[in-house]
Amino acid sequence: MKQIEPFAEGFIAALCPELILFAGLIALIILPNLGKGTFRIPGTQKRVMWLLGGDRFRVTSNPKLPAWIATVTLFAAFIQTMLSFQDGVDRTAIVTESGKQLMLVNGFSRVFELIFFGALTLAAFASMNRLEVRGVGPNLSNDDLYNNRRQADFYILMLTCGLGMSVVALAQDLFVLFIGLELASFSTYVLVAFYKETKVGTEAGMKYFIVGSVASGVGLYGLSMLYLWAGSLQFDALADQFVISGAEPLPLIAMGFVLVGFGFKVSAAPFHFAAPDAYAGASSPVAGILATASKAMGVIGLLRMLLIVAAPEASEDGTVWLTLLGILSIITMTWGNIAALGSTNPKRMLAYSSVAHAGYMLAAITAIGAWNWDESLAGDGGEAAIAVLTALIFHLIVLVAFKLGAFLVLSILESDGDASRLSSLGGLAKREPFLAVAMFIFMISLAGVPPLAGFVSKLLVIMGIVKVAVGEIGAEIVAGGELGLADVHWVWWLALAMVINSAISMYYYLRIGVVMFFDEAEAGREGPLPSGWQVRFAVFACLMATLFLGVASDKLLQICEVAAQSLNYDWK
Amino acid sequence: MNDWISIPLVAFPLIASMVLLAFVANGTERMRQRLVGPIRMACLVFSLIMLVITTGMFFQFFGSVSWMNIAFNDYEYQFTYSWIESLGIHWAVGLDALSFPMVWLTTFLLPVTIIATWNEKSGATYFPLLLMMGGALIGVFVSLDLFMFYVFWELTLIPMFFLILKWGGKDRKYASQKFFIYTFTASVIMLLGLITLYFLQDPNTLNYSGTMTGRSFSIPELIDNASDNNLGDNWYLGAKMQKILFVMLMIGFLVKLPAVPFHTWLPDAHVQAPTGGSMLLAGVMLKMGAYGMFRLPISLFPHALYHFQLALMIIGMVSLVWGAIVCLGQTNLKKMVAYSSVSHMGVILIGIATMQPMGWAAALFMMFAHGIISPMLFAVCGAFKHHYHSMEIGAMRGMARHSPWLATSMMFGWMASLGLPLLAGFVAEIMMLIALWHMISIDGWSIWWMVGPALVLALTAAYYLWSMQRTIFEGGEHGQPPANMVGKPIPDISDSEKFAMLILAFFTILFGIMPWIGLDMMDDWTKQFFEGLIKFVGKGGA
Repeated sequence: MKQIEPFAEGFIAALCPELILFAGLIALIILPNLGKGTFRIPGTQKRVMWLLGGDRFRVTSNPKLPAWIATVTLFAAFIQTMLSFQDGVDRTAIVTESGKQLMLVNGFSRVFELIFFGALTLAAFASMNRLEVRGVGPNLSNDDLYNNRRQADFYILMLTCGLGMSVVALAQDLFVLFIGLELASFSTYVLVAFYKETKVGTEAGMKYFIVGSVASGVGLYGLSMLYLWAGSLQFDALADQFVISGAEPLPLIAMGFVLVGFGFKVSAAPFHFAAPDAYAGASSPVAGILATASKAMGVIGLLRMLLIVAAPEASEDGTVWLTLLGILSIITMTWGNIAALGSTNPKRMLAYSSVAHAGYMLAAITAIGAWNWDESLAGDGGEAAIAVLTALIFHLIVLVAFKLGAFLVLSILESDGDASRLSSLGGLAKREPFLAVAMFIFMISLAGVPPLAGFVSKLLVIMGIVKVAVGEIGAEIVAGGELGLADVHWVWWLALAMVINSAISMYYYLRIGVVMFFDEAEAGREGPLPSGWQVRFAVFACLMATLFLGVASDKLLQICEVAAQSLNYDWK
Repeated sequence: MNDWISIPLVAFPLIASMVLLAFVANGTERMRQRLVGPIRMACLVFSLIMLVITTGMFFQFFGSVSWMNIAFNDYEYQFTYSWIESLGIHWAVGLDALSFPMVWLTTFLLPVTIIATWNEKSGATYFPLLLMMGGALIGVFVSLDLFMFYVFWELTLIPMFFLILKWGGKDRKYASQKFFIYTFTASVIMLLGLITLYFLQDPNTLNYSGTMTGRSFSIPELIDNASDNNLGDNWYLGAKMQKILFVMLMIGFLVKLPAVPFHTWLPDAHVQAPTGGSMLLAGVMLKMGAYGMFRLPISLFPHALYHFQLALMIIGMVSLVWGAIVCLGQTNLKKMVAYSSVSHMGVILIGIATMQPMGWAAALFMMFAHGIISPMLFAVCGAFKHHYHSMEIGAMRGMARHSPWLATSMMFGWMASLGLPLLAGFVAEIMMLIALWHMISIDGWSIWWMVGPALVLALTAAYYLWSMQRTIFEGGEHGQPPANMVGKPIPDISDSEKFAMLILAFFTILFGIMPWIGLDMMDDWTKQFFEGLIKFVGKGGA
């Protein structure tokens, strides 16, 4: 492992994607302000062109400029991340002078950065058609000018959001992780409130902010308790300390508090109450980010806390968390699906479906923990845990394709009027068959119908859970043992719960299809949808990914496996 | 041997139909109108090519080979390509006497369906959907990989969902969703069973295992492993586990079949589905359930099958009798035919539950014969709806006087379905009865088990004859047209419908008087299959 101090040699190479984002951020602040501004040298009458302020140039006054800068930056970061993908062995740590690890660049963090940058690129690209632009040129009214200026704000927030998320992915220290989490969270609070065209936007942003900051506050309190207990917030130090005195009430309570913070981010029950309001109130691309990238960020937190800090092998007390997590996962997926059955707002429905997916992820994390905590299963050499972790990462990646894709389709409908009623999807098959077909494919992919990406990811998660549950029993059966379901580890029932929940969820996903293909369009909305090739291109990209990753998932699976192993490599 | 299965029979129809659909979806309404003709013709030509390929396979191989030389779990035209290596997933196809008749049936019904519903509205999207359906169905029957099997198993739902949703009757919204959710729920439970089975395999005995999981999805390997371990009193995977997995897999297949009490999706789907959808649904899709039973639970878990024999027999009997009783009470022609399908699927289940080679051969032949007869029944119902805008039995009488073609087709189909000798259905039913007698006399079951089938013979005749009497005959000198058509000229069925009926009738007669064309291979294969399985199970063969 390479160890690099900040700004030492190799630092730029190691953190290239983040630095690209940072450069983009600065460009985004400066470029739209370039103009024919002059500067009077004090004490003279001489004015010097210094390019800041004044009448903007043609290029820099273009309200689309920030969007392009943000998209290009995010895409460049995405490509750079892909190029610098590292396996478990070849990794780089960013350390302080005294040798404490702050960040770690490895396959695991790179894969999550791919998720973040991919989702943000698509959302930023699609938002070009979403934020209203009221004309170009020097003779705009103040209102229009102001409206165009806010373009820059929106995309700056997108970039800070990406920066915060990638810090979370890299962090090896709870405090660094928390900084990244808050940077990303605050950006998303504002992004949610950015939807000013409707009344609900501000309200949703407020709600999301209040509940979110309470959750963060609780998490921070837990963090301080952990510091009190271990004297450090380094993951290594915490994990070592957990082996020694993990059974004490203080660390357990502290862990619980910290998990509240992350539970809110993945919108797991019972911390999910703000999610439907936030998703429904935010503009659709932003809601898509909440449902994919922001959720992946929460999952990182959960994985780090549960698998690295609190998972010493064969610790009795781990099973308390395990049972609790298993029960929470069943409650989350069932609650999400049942609530989605009754909702008539497509965005709320997608929000609840996102809650249900959080439940599936919690089930997967439980299964990883079950392998780690249960002595009887520990013989498998980590293979089973890797399988579940691979499945979880794969799930988070493909979720970007179809979840974000679905939100982008709703985004087009939102620019047409609104997308807050089921009937606003009516007649979409006649108005624009491509979007209807894409939406239908996203829906059945969410439900898990083969051969789409959603099916493969759900299959992988179920397979991983079953593999953990079956464990060594296969060998015993081969040896002639007489074993039934009672002998299988109880996480098998989580797989059954997932399967039954998929069947329940089928109803509301199909209903979207029925409305699009069967119902007539709402009165006054029969015409073609507003144009905009960017968002359609983004939908097309999501569609292709949904189809392609379902049929040919081998390559991506290997990448996910490398990522899963590299997390394992560090926690062994 | 060239791979005549993967591309021409599975991938090509799927891809071609998707390309056609994508092309059509982006066009204007006018373009769609103009394209109906060429697209219909293209779909017909594609499906005829597929029919030629499968028929060629029959003459080249399946019709002439001596099946007694082909052991259990051997496949012809077997091809394996790697697909998702980390999980041990392969694109593996192959045919045996279980799957080949079903594949031929699918390729046979596809052009017939296209011809029978030649004038269906919105043809530019309808015919590609039929083609897609055909590709997915063949995919189910040829796959020798569990993953691939499941993918195609679920893929058949999508075109059928749209066929019902777009071209269906008044309650199509409800019916299509019920159909989808009902069968999806059953299949995900089956999926969990398959995955559990996957991980219970012994990783040391597999050749095709995945790099990440160390297990394999290959069906032949799975069956090999199972039959190696199903020795005497030794149950593969142990008695408890085998029973659990057997039940989980059977849930998926029994719902698809469908067997009472899981049958309620079928009448809704059938009544609302368009004629073409019904023909494929009844003709092939229901058989997926029976096919799956033979391919997986029966092959893998003979002990569990023996253990649950009584339960299966009871479910089969109830389906048989209940389906027939409900038929008596129907006023809707299509609903009656749908329930008669439930009744006939009961015959398949009873054939399986007899645990006799003859009974299994009867089940296989019933799958095939019902696959030819029931599309004809639904074609008749479709013609009824199309020309008289009513499906109520008794809304019109004396059809024979003004629509002799439809009346004759109806009479022929009804007779074939009730099991008239020298028609295909009779062969299967009589074989099932003989197998039942075998079971009673050899295995010592009670004679009362004959009551159900005997009763149903009478009930079937009753509901068919009664409905014929009230539609074809009576009604005075000129017949009695339906209320909405009084005073208008009443047309007979169209030429394309006549043609489709004639083809279906021809094959019904052909397989009635020369059943050995298909029955020989089924019979021999069943014997091999039965011996491969049962010689190790305590019970012993017939």
